[in-house]
Amino acid sequence: MASVTLKNVYKIYSGGVTAVTDFNLEIADKEFIILVGPSGCGKSTTLRMIAGLEEISKGELHIGDTLANDVAPKDRDIAMVFQSYALYPHMSVFDNMAFGLKLRKTPKDEIKRRVEAAAKSLDIAHLLDRKPKALSGGQRQRVALGRAIVRNPKVFLLDEPLSNLDAKLRAQMRTEIAKLHKKLGTTFIYVTHDQTEAMTMGDRIVVMKDGFIQQVDTPQNLYDKPVNEFVAGFMGSPQMNFIDAKLGKAGEGYTLTFGKCTIPVPAGKAAGADLAPYVGKDVVFGIRPEDVHDEADFIEKAGGAHVTCAVEVTELMGAETYLYLKCEGSDVTARVEPTSTAKSGDKCQIAFDLEKIHIFDKETEVTILN
Amino acid sequence: MSNRLFQGIIHQMRDTIDRTIGVIDESSVIIACSDLGKIGEVNEEVTAEALASSDVFQTGDFTFKSFGSRPHPEYAVFVGGADPEARKYVKLLAVSLNSIKQYYDEKYDRGNFIKNVILDNILPGDIYLKSHELHFDSDVSRVCMLIKITDKNDISAYEVLQNLFPDKNKDFIININESDIALVKEIKPNIDMKDIDKLANSIVDTLSGEFYTHCMVGIGTVVASIKDLARSFKEAQVALEVGKVFDTETTIVSYNNLGIARLIYQLPTTLCDMFLKEVFKRGSIDSLDHETLFTIQRFFENNLNVSETSRKLFVHRNTLVYRLEKIKKITGLDLREFEDAIVFKVALMVKKYLSNNPVKF
Repeated sequence: MASVTLKNVYKIYSGGVTAVTDFNLEIADKEFIILVGPSGCGKSTTLRMIAGLEEISKGELHIGDTLANDVAPKDRDIAMVFQSYALYPHMSVFDNMAFGLKLRKTPKDEIKRRVEAAAKSLDIAHLLDRKPKALSGGQRQRVALGRAIVRNPKVFLLDEPLSNLDAKLRAQMRTEIAKLHKKLGTTFIYVTHDQTEAMTMGDRIVVMKDGFIQQVDTPQNLYDKPVNEFVAGFMGSPQMNFIDAKLGKAGEGYTLTFGKCTIPVPAGKAAGADLAPYVGKDVVFGIRPEDVHDEADFIEKAGGAHVTCAVEVTELMGAETYLYLKCEGSDVTARVEPTSTAKSGDKCQIAFDLEKIHIFDKETEVTILN
Repeated sequence: MSNRLFQGIIHQMRDTIDRTIGVIDESSVIIACSDLGKIGEVNEEVTAEALASSDVFQTGDFTFKSFGSRPHPEYAVFVGGADPEARKYVKLLAVSLNSIKQYYDEKYDRGNFIKNVILDNILPGDIYLKSHELHFDSDVSRVCMLIKITDKNDISAYEVLQNLFPDKNKDFIININESDIALVKEIKPNIDMKDIDKLANSIVDTLSGEFYTHCMVGIGTVVASIKDLARSFKEAQVALEVGKVFDTETTIVSYNNLGIARLIYQLPTTLCDMFLKEVFKRGSIDSLDHETLFTIQRFFENNLNVSETSRKLFVHRNTLVYRLEKIKKITGLDLREFEDAIVFKVALMVKKYLSNNPVKF
């Protein structure tokens, strides 16, 4: 078991392309941390630098108490699982898991012991004699994990290991991996571009964009208190609604105006932020789809904070309904009760849960109010 | 090699057949035997004529049966005794040893044959003859990949690849040199290039994930005939070379996706020099510092959008405009104009190509 620390780490390729810029992160021992972000944001490069498969251009990497920049990958005591894992087709599950150890000249009885222990922790002990062809997608994925487990590493690095699985299996394997982390009690560093995976699996999430860390926090904090517009938009599905608005002042309080609509900013919420410099300026008003309501009693309670919208599309998801609305020229998505009667082409009233609004600086995209 | 192969079989059969059994070659030397002491002995009683016969024959206390693939059998198997049971055993052994030898020869020769084909060491006319001789399906779709191991460790990448592609009749793993391994893979016709990329990805991921071996993979085009394999292999080589120059951060380079880089790679260096002199006649590209070049790169990545680029670079819009003006002053190229931007982009690639010391012509 080990902690991993990255201090001012950069990755600059020979062509001058900077893939990772000033990356600072402390990963605690036994922590499950997720690196998430869109393609090309530098998350896999960071993982490969930890693994030693990419050289660190600048900065320091510590695994445990050791400065690991110049430690060979095989001596870093890490194990990796990648997206495009390939099993050896002619070998049994046992041999697939044992192959790496055999090549490393590990004694036979030790191999047997480790493979059997790993198979047991992955619930594939009964499949050890089978060939990969006779396994389901999920079982194959477990064998791939097993090949990493048998090495007894201090740190597990997983690079989008579930990307090749279908949605149902992916959901199942998410839980399996989270359980495995608890069972093994090892540090897990997991890379994904899927925000659902990030939200459901990790202790903490690192959101990256263009090689920069945007925010590091727990899933709940990232969702509730994003530091900028990018994080707010990236976490959550359907994503947060962003509406161009102007911040105004009404007496002691503040207001947000978009189109012909003006809504008040709750005094309690505004008290915690420095809104004064933004008065009269363009800002971005953010609200999550679940904080947009069409229920009559909510609209009634909301007072002035309701708007008339045109319903463009409705999507019944079973437990909830998504309404895609045109609201004062902006697109707004609402996640409402399945009992909602709104239909495409209708006009409907919606109200925002003002305690849940976010305001972002239009120019810098930084959060002004959470 | 056959000797070891035969000894292995004889050794396995020793306990089942409770007699002395073995194999003798055409020069009458015992090359495999259940009685290890006899290996290497010469049995002068077995003559060349006897070996040439296709029937069971008897010499001394042993019963013999010839086998082998050439017009004249090269080996004979023998069993101790001269009774009908010995005749039966010797016939059975001859059949199995012959099949094993054929299988071995075929496998061994096929690998060599493919190696000769991709390295252009075989005359085009001989390709079809030899492939026919080896029962080699010459008109199926295949693709060549070249795997370059960029950092060595104590694990044999060749062995790993052989286990990833164990079908010796369809896939061939060939050691080209210390760092390069070729994979010739039979594929379904009309396969999507994405699937070939996935295959390459699984090679890279397996080698790096399991064995910490960093590699690059060059992919040639899919060919439908065996005679075109050499072309596919050369394309894989070119893909790796071009990738090394222009696409330093990617590990998988496909010949099909080289784009403008392939054009530049094939240009004579003298022409490239002329082009650079023409573009930068007002000032050398070398007078642009690293920060300016980085700014330009980001500006291109953001589709010549000043606001977006300045946001990504964390600089004020006016700072970026100032930098672009400075570039215009030095080079005469206004990167906000599409025409100038594309000339600059190509010039940067040409510069990259020349700085990699290509062969001058």
